Amino acid sequence: MSTRRRRSIFDILDGYFENIEEWAESFRERLIERPSWDCRASTIEPLRNTLITPTEVIVTVDLPYAEENTVEVKTLGKDTIEVLAKMKRKIRLDDFGITHYEGEFKMLRCQARIPVPVYTDAMKVHFRKGILEVRLRRKNALEIPIE
Amino acid sequence: MKKLESLRTRRFRTVASCFSVSRMLDWIRAKDAWGSGTVSCIMLFGFPDVGLVGVIAASHLVSELELSEIAFMDSRLLPPIIVLHQGLPHSPVRIFANHDVLLAVSETAIPADTIYPIVHALIDWGNSNEVKMMVSMSGIPVQDRQDIEKIGVFASASNPDTLKMIQDKGVQVLQEGYMVGPQAIMMQYCANKGVPAATLLAQCYFNYPDPEAAAELLKELAKVTGKKIDVSKLLDKGEEIRLRARDVMKRTQQEMSKMKKTQEYDIPLYVS
Repeated sequence: MSTRRRRSIFDILDGYFENIEEWAESFRERLIERPSWDCRASTIEPLRNTLITPTEVIVTVDLPYAEENTVEVKTLGKDTIEVLAKMKRKIRLDDFGITHYEGEFKMLRCQARIPVPVYTDAMKVHFRKGILEVRLRRKNALEIPIE
Repeated sequence: MKKLESLRTRRFRTVASCFSVSRMLDWIRAKDAWGSGTVSCIMLFGFPDVGLVGVIAASHLVSELELSEIAFMDSRLLPPIIVLHQGLPHSPVRIFANHDVLLAVSETAIPADTIYPIVHALIDWGNSNEVKMMVSMSGIPVQDRQDIEKIGVFASASNPDTLKMIQDKGVQVLQEGYMVGPQAIMMQYCANKGVPAATLLAQCYFNYPDPEAAAELLKELAKVTGKKIDVSKLLDKGEEIRLRARDVMKRTQQEMSKMKKTQEYDIPLYVS
């Protein structure tokens, strides 16, 4: 008769969390990881960051080589903004020593999803030291009166 | 989530405790050109971290001081990556030097769970080469960095004598706070081993490459080392560096989130 050792609840949970971690890593690798440039569209994807405060959402984008007067912020639906900017000069991949791909870039473009409801029609935009800052006011949540 | 964190912590410890000091020293291979070593020099460290300040500063030092590669790290703990320069393979973690400076630099984000053994190996190697002081170059993130006119550079040290020496040279001290990442490991290990060490931290963006912060750091480094570095080329090439460094910054962000790097914003609880 074979004696099978039962796994403890902690071993089962350990395995469960390890699986989740592996799944998250493979999901990121497959769906999120992609080149930060697009040769067909001649665009480079800049770095961006989204900060959520109690009253507003602040999206910042690092726009090196951007011509300030060409920076554009568009809304795409209720929860996404797109940032576009022409570059001061065309950048070729061989400027970075890359010779096994060919590509020339003249625009910076990225999209940022806003994870909470905001007023997209009332956004404030600032550009300073090559950093674009977009501030979007959050839609008010239901206020609960304190008795 | 807590369970996930404890699993990660356990894995960190396992990896870090698997290697003895002598085994770790074998990871650093000297090149033929490197003879008996440079005695009594300073060893600098530039690892990918917030704003990539350390790596940008290190890269500028290599070209400005005309440092040449004297050793490299060869370890299975590094990701399976080589860096190709002019068609030839290089380890992502290398040591450069001239007659009085050693500089350890990593061109790729170091996986969070291997930082301990990698930093320990580099410090042990420096120690075996009779380095007189170790200085880590990095950044400290600040909110609304773009609105800061004068970038502050702060220092901490591994012992009171080194701290006093740095203060006497006019560098501001980081009095209270948390330090997370390679420089934290370096400071702790050097303090335990009695090696004089310092960390210079320039105010910077959290997740955007910051050449301006690197330039300010190099100005303060000159106070510590007594060697002035011309940063004009670094500032002129600022936009190019920011564009080139996006991918390294993105990879570094992923590792920083595993390390809980945002803890550097926290206010510490003072325990005397």
